[in-house]
Amino acid sequence: MNGFFIGVCLFLLLNICLGLLRVWRGPTVADRLLTTQLFGTTGMAILIVLAGYLGELTLLNVAITFNVLAVLLVICFVQVWKPGKKGGKA
Amino acid sequence: MTMTNLFTIILLLAGCFFFLGGTLGLLRFPDLFSRLHALTKVDNIGLGLIAAGMAIHIGSPWAALKIFLIWLSTLLASSTACYLVAKFQLGRPSESPEVPAK
Amino acid sequence: MSLWIDSLLAVLAVFLAVRCLLAPTLPQCVFLFFAFGLTLALAWARLGAVDVAIAEAAIAAGFLGVLLIDALRDFSRSRSTGEGGDRPSRVSQGLVGAGVLVFLVVAIEAVWRVPNGGGLTALAADNLPQSGVDHPVTAVLLNYRSYDTWLEVGVVLMALLALFATGGREYFCRPVVRAVDPLLRQVILLFTPVLFLVGAFLLYLGKTEPGGAFQAAVLWGAGGILLHLGGWPVFASMAPWLRHLLLTAGFGFFLLLGFLFMAGGGALFEYPLAQAGLLILVVETLAALSIAAALTAIFAYFNGMSAESAEPFTPASS
Repeated sequence: MNGFFIGVCLFLLLNICLGLLRVWRGPTVADRLLTTQLFGTTGMAILIVLAGYLGELTLLNVAITFNVLAVLLVICFVQVWKPGKKGGKA
Repeated sequence: MTMTNLFTIILLLAGCFFFLGGTLGLLRFPDLFSRLHALTKVDNIGLGLIAAGMAIHIGSPWAALKIFLIWLSTLLASSTACYLVAKFQLGRPSESPEVPAK
Repeated sequence: MSLWIDSLLAVLAVFLAVRCLLAPTLPQCVFLFFAFGLTLALAWARLGAVDVAIAEAAIAAGFLGVLLIDALRDFSRSRSTGEGGDRPSRVSQGLVGAGVLVFLVVAIEAVWRVPNGGGLTALAADNLPQSGVDHPVTAVLLNYRSYDTWLEVGVVLMALLALFATGGREYFCRPVVRAVDPLLRQVILLFTPVLFLVGAFLLYLGKTEPGGAFQAAVLWGAGGILLHLGGWPVFASMAPWLRHLLLTAGFGFFLLLGFLFMAGGGALFEYPLAQAGLLILVVETLAALSIAAALTAIFAYFNGMSAESAEPFTPASS
């Protein structure tokens, strides 16, 4: 059973490595932003599996931290990169 | 092999399959909108399946509640993220790389 | 078997660090850095250092993330108008190289001499009953070495003061963007209380399990940043004295406590045994509030500054 969990973690990690290709290729910043969502979701899955495998339930709190912060990057991106609105008084 | 272990293995394998699908979609799809579609939907199913499998394996109600909340809030966050990014990208050329406005 | 996952994480972390430094464009560098943060968080989790994993997750995915995305926009604008950065001079390159070399030598030396007996772990565990908390990391941070923690709270405050000194005082009251999209408003209004709640949960958890003031502070700061991004600047609705009190409360209360103990005849930060648990919780809460306020103010400063220096530019044709 433990070997199986390790296998799942490895598989998910390799998924993240594949996702890095998209970071490399782009082409827009929005495309790259998508990979942060992939990293977040996959990272949470790895942490949940690790929590069960190691029997360390506090790892779930790390997953929760990732979870509540995942949306912050996207909101920051759409708000900060908004065209025209950022001219302050303009 | 007990029944719960069997369930866990099936759910985790299914979850991995969906994660692979999401990643391949992110890599192979031609434009941002279809990539959004692949990523924010398929990965959530993957996370849900893996979460359910591990909740069964861990078998503590408190941990199961936490895992369920993680999944619920991921669903919320990621569907909103999909909407926001798509709306952001609408009406701007998809291949204008790193220049923010115009 | 688990050696596989450890070695993959180790290779991935080094690979991403090198890749991130050598990336040809800035966006690649920034988003590789996010992947690097995730890898580090997973590595800490794998090593059993859950406290550090939570801090890494919160800082890399939260605070650094928004700062980098904000900075990325400024840089991509200046690059598109043709202002490139200069290459650093030979002298500064040499200085940086020498600094890195010295750091490497010191780091290798430290790793070489890692004590076999586990260092001070046993000592920390033995004194746990007298520390007022049940989690050794919190005990070290807020009792045995509270002097260090006090200075760390001060460092965050110093960073903010440096920003104020460069003329950023008025920025953090003013929102630069406003959330007009109803869905965006709802999400911000939903996630801000969630962030505050999870932060409070981690803060309270720090007494017995991994968690604590710094992790909570980043989550609360993220809540403040979220509100700022939505067009509700948190500091604008406060009286100035309240704002300043909020920013300095953690540092000040820590200091006051230390002096009171010294006046009572003890050492600096020597908590009386009976109230140690309660005092640590109060200190942690105030420190977390101050750090969160400082983080929000730092982000608001950078966000406002880049809006100020930006030339008025034309909206996209949509």
